[in-house]
Amino acid sequence: MNLQRTSGKFITYTILIIWAVISLLPLYWVFSTALQLSEYKDDTTGQVISYVEAEPPKLYPMGIPKYFEEWGKARDAASSGNAAAEAHHRERMDMIVTDTFSGFAALFNGTSIWKWFFNSAYIAVVVTVGILLLDTMAGYVLAKKQFPGRDFIFWLIIATMMIPGQITLVPLFKMVQTLGLMDTHWALILPDLSMVFGVFLMRQYMLSIPSDLLEAAKIDGASEWKTFWTVVVPLAKPALATLGIFTFMNVWNSFLWPIIVLNNADLYTLPVGLKTLQDQNLAIFKLLMSGAAVAAVPMIIVFIAFQRYFIRGLTVGGVKE
Amino acid sequence: MKTSPTTAHETGKPSAKLRSRQKSLLREMWKQRAAYLFLLPKMILFIAFIVLPVIWAFVISFQEFGIFESEWVGIDNYVATFQNEAFMIALWNTLKYTLVTVPVSILLALTLATLIHPLGRISQSFFRGAFYLPTVTSMVIIAMVWRWVYNYRFGLFNYFLSFFNIPAQDWLNQSDTALWALIIMSILIPPGVGIIMYLAAMGSIPESLYEAAKIDGAGSFQRWWQITVPLLKPTTLYLTMLSLIGSFQVFTQVILMTGGGPGDATETLVHLIYKTGFRDLEFGLASAQAIVLFVITLIFGLIQYRLLYRKSED
Amino acid sequence: MKFMKTVALVTVMAVAGAGLAGCSEKTEKETETANWTGKIVIWDGPRWEDPSKNKYHWLEAQAKAFESSHQGVTVEIVQVPWAELNDKLGVSIAGKAWPDIAPIDISGNGVNPTFIKQKVVEPLDDYFTADDKKDFYENALEAYTQDGKMYGVPAAMTVHSMLLNLDVFKERNVEPPKDGQWTWEEFVDSMKKLTYDKDGDGTTDVYGMSTYIKNGYYEAWPFLYMDGGRPLSEDGTKFTFDSKEATDAMKKLADLKAVEKVAPKEMGSGDVGGTWKAFSAQKSVAVEPWATWAISAAAKANMNNVMVASYPTGKSGKPVTIGGVGGWMMFAQEDKGKKKVLADFMKQLSNTDNQVLSAKNYGTFPSRKSAMDQKPFEGNIPMQQAQKLTEQAVMVPKHANWKKIDEAIQKELQLVLNGEKAPDAAMADAKKTVDGLLK
Repeated sequence: MNLQRTSGKFITYTILIIWAVISLLPLYWVFSTALQLSEYKDDTTGQVISYVEAEPPKLYPMGIPKYFEEWGKARDAASSGNAAAEAHHRERMDMIVTDTFSGFAALFNGTSIWKWFFNSAYIAVVVTVGILLLDTMAGYVLAKKQFPGRDFIFWLIIATMMIPGQITLVPLFKMVQTLGLMDTHWALILPDLSMVFGVFLMRQYMLSIPSDLLEAAKIDGASEWKTFWTVVVPLAKPALATLGIFTFMNVWNSFLWPIIVLNNADLYTLPVGLKTLQDQNLAIFKLLMSGAAVAAVPMIIVFIAFQRYFIRGLTVGGVKE
Repeated sequence: MKTSPTTAHETGKPSAKLRSRQKSLLREMWKQRAAYLFLLPKMILFIAFIVLPVIWAFVISFQEFGIFESEWVGIDNYVATFQNEAFMIALWNTLKYTLVTVPVSILLALTLATLIHPLGRISQSFFRGAFYLPTVTSMVIIAMVWRWVYNYRFGLFNYFLSFFNIPAQDWLNQSDTALWALIIMSILIPPGVGIIMYLAAMGSIPESLYEAAKIDGAGSFQRWWQITVPLLKPTTLYLTMLSLIGSFQVFTQVILMTGGGPGDATETLVHLIYKTGFRDLEFGLASAQAIVLFVITLIFGLIQYRLLYRKSED
Repeated sequence: MKFMKTVALVTVMAVAGAGLAGCSEKTEKETETANWTGKIVIWDGPRWEDPSKNKYHWLEAQAKAFESSHQGVTVEIVQVPWAELNDKLGVSIAGKAWPDIAPIDISGNGVNPTFIKQKVVEPLDDYFTADDKKDFYENALEAYTQDGKMYGVPAAMTVHSMLLNLDVFKERNVEPPKDGQWTWEEFVDSMKKLTYDKDGDGTTDVYGMSTYIKNGYYEAWPFLYMDGGRPLSEDGTKFTFDSKEATDAMKKLADLKAVEKVAPKEMGSGDVGGTWKAFSAQKSVAVEPWATWAISAAAKANMNNVMVASYPTGKSGKPVTIGGVGGWMMFAQEDKGKKKVLADFMKQLSNTDNQVLSAKNYGTFPSRKSAMDQKPFEGNIPMQQAQKLTEQAVMVPKHANWKKIDEAIQKELQLVLNGEKAPDAAMADAKKTVDGLLK
């Protein structure tokens, strides 16, 4: 009996861990490639080797073993009193470090990456905060209120999601033009704020909140806004965390629309800026992945920040029936 | 407000006279003014940046798009859409893709969430992170990685299959495997959002229900099937609908990994729409194709809605 | 009610935000005089970088020079990623918000015929006299000419050529082709020798040749031209890739993989990056056809022993290749004075000095004879070798529906190289689509 339970647990963990590895692989690969040696000069043959995109692929930055190799050689040289050889290997150690971080160095020294970063960050924050507020309000009433037109609005929202975005690019462009928003950050923020998948998400989540709770608040004489703010929002925390991360990520990663509506390089967001560095025929992979790594860091931070809200929303505050 | 607002559809009392019905409708609307105000800001944005562009696309689908002037052509674009062999092939590929990936990925999300849910706090947050965090990587990067996974010579996939003595294939470059390679890829990318949503919803199921079932002598699978799964319905509906819409609009993988080839093997609807619009500047035809895609998605959406809500809600 | 206030505030802010931004819209003046003043907008992608890693420095310097020679004119440069240039252009054209000048892709497609059909590209004949045109190579001008009108300024050329990794040739004791010329039989013979099992594990590691097939790219096509086959008849009214000359050549190319086994299984996929990597990084392919950008890219990838050769010569008895022309196009303008200023700027961008610069730094060939006279490739042997090939270059056919025709053909070519379809069956299927497009 006990054995059965242990083996069941073992199987569960095995499945989950394998899947987790597959899942994390792309993210790992981004960082590993960003830090991969790209111009390593072999000491004996004098050949310059790139481990970026080597086949079969190197599974970790080759700078790490190479660095320790040189370090060992330098130590041996030092102990045998060969100062020239020691200096040579020390120099190679520096070279390896420089090459390992050369992608980041190129980004931070040669481009306006900080400006792009700032633009992306403030747009993503504004949109995320806006979406969380607007979509929770809308999702709440669509789930918990009875009013004429409710079902129509709900289905209209779903229906518009079924139209591929590629086809509305042109009319959206015209709309932005008509409003005089071209080449401003409003051209990114307002269309992003109008995205509706969050309304749908919040509505579905709210459906699972027992209505009794809201009734109780109403009996206490709380206003609509107070009920929403003090009862609904805290209960929706897990969904808010999901929506927050999802929105931030979407806005942060989007590049086609920003490329289309922005002309002034000072307004570029991070993905747009990174793309303007890409050559016509060749992707310089190390630089590309360094950019992707820089872009991933804020999202990882956002994820960790929101992570604590994932705790089971409804078990808090004696809601348990 | 009545007891369970999600079940009742109309609270307005039926009245014989139209006028009094209108009046009661207005009264009802006035009573619920707070609800409209809650919706208003989102609706302004929604109408300006989504509804109006969609209407434009609908209108243009009856025109031959020209930059300086467009010409009304009636339903010509729709006729052309259905007469176009490429469209039919793309439709068939998209259907295949959707009908496999949607059910499998929903089932996977449910299974993985079920496996994670009973774990301890630390393991739970570890796996939640492991499955959700990768969604921060854009599809562009994921596609690059998977291209390498499917590499004929050095790819992980062939390496893995070699243990089972399955001969190496050039997965993305053979007509009979290319679409399946894309399907397998979207199945193996963990459904992070689904897992998170299911976990959140599972957390809101009262423990007491399970205890009652236990007393009745229900086994753990029975409890899962009879309590967990039905109570997750709103989440399932959300995920299925979202996944359905996403699958019907599969695009990024296609353009980055196969470009629709070899031949027509991985041509999908949105890739075709994209080409029609942006390569050929035939926005009228592209819009017609998009509207057809919309109708198909809607039909499938309604079918799955009916399937999930066969019995009454809740 | 507190929430009402908040809601109202949000709404007001949204509306006010839109309104404010609306006010900032500029009103542009029109002038009929020759001395037009104002702002011109030019798009460009990244080119070669300067020591501070700026990939737009060349155009920035050009803009500055133009502003000082044309008082009252300001030049706004919009940095557009190459990969998204076409999408941005498409939306901007549909939204009637096009730039004044934009670059034309060098890959061989020329000016998008749809743009010409929709009259969003300006013909430039008024600004280029016969004397101006004399300095340009004829095939470069021809590539931008449609219905007798000139729809762009050629600023650079490229040509497809075979790149040979001589390290592998040396390792296998294979003599590279003399003067870069080889017949098909000699070529196949070399490929056989170059294909081998490097590590002795019983499978082939290094292949003779590989290439890819993708819409809008023509590296593989000179092979199909080898015996005299062409996609369309001279006057562009008939599909001719189903001729025996063409299908035989297709079969020969496909047989490199299927019969001779001197090409890897991946040959014929649409994987451009993978094909390039196999040549430049993994070195698992000895010979690949590429456009000239690859010559400088190979040098950057530390390949110091590269030779440029012609495509193998087939039954037509002459080597043949496909070229491409890059340049600038002007979008529809209402103001005559502005048109003149724009044409001046385009002339400046494509003048002799700039073409020499581009040739030296960006791996392109000049489209002007005077630039070629300055010998920009002194000391650069591979580029000199490739330059010789420009004489063999033919251009991709010009047809209003070319992009669709191209797609119909390339799609079938992929299947032919995959061994999934016989060349005549594939071309018969392509013909069905193409015939409809030629009408």
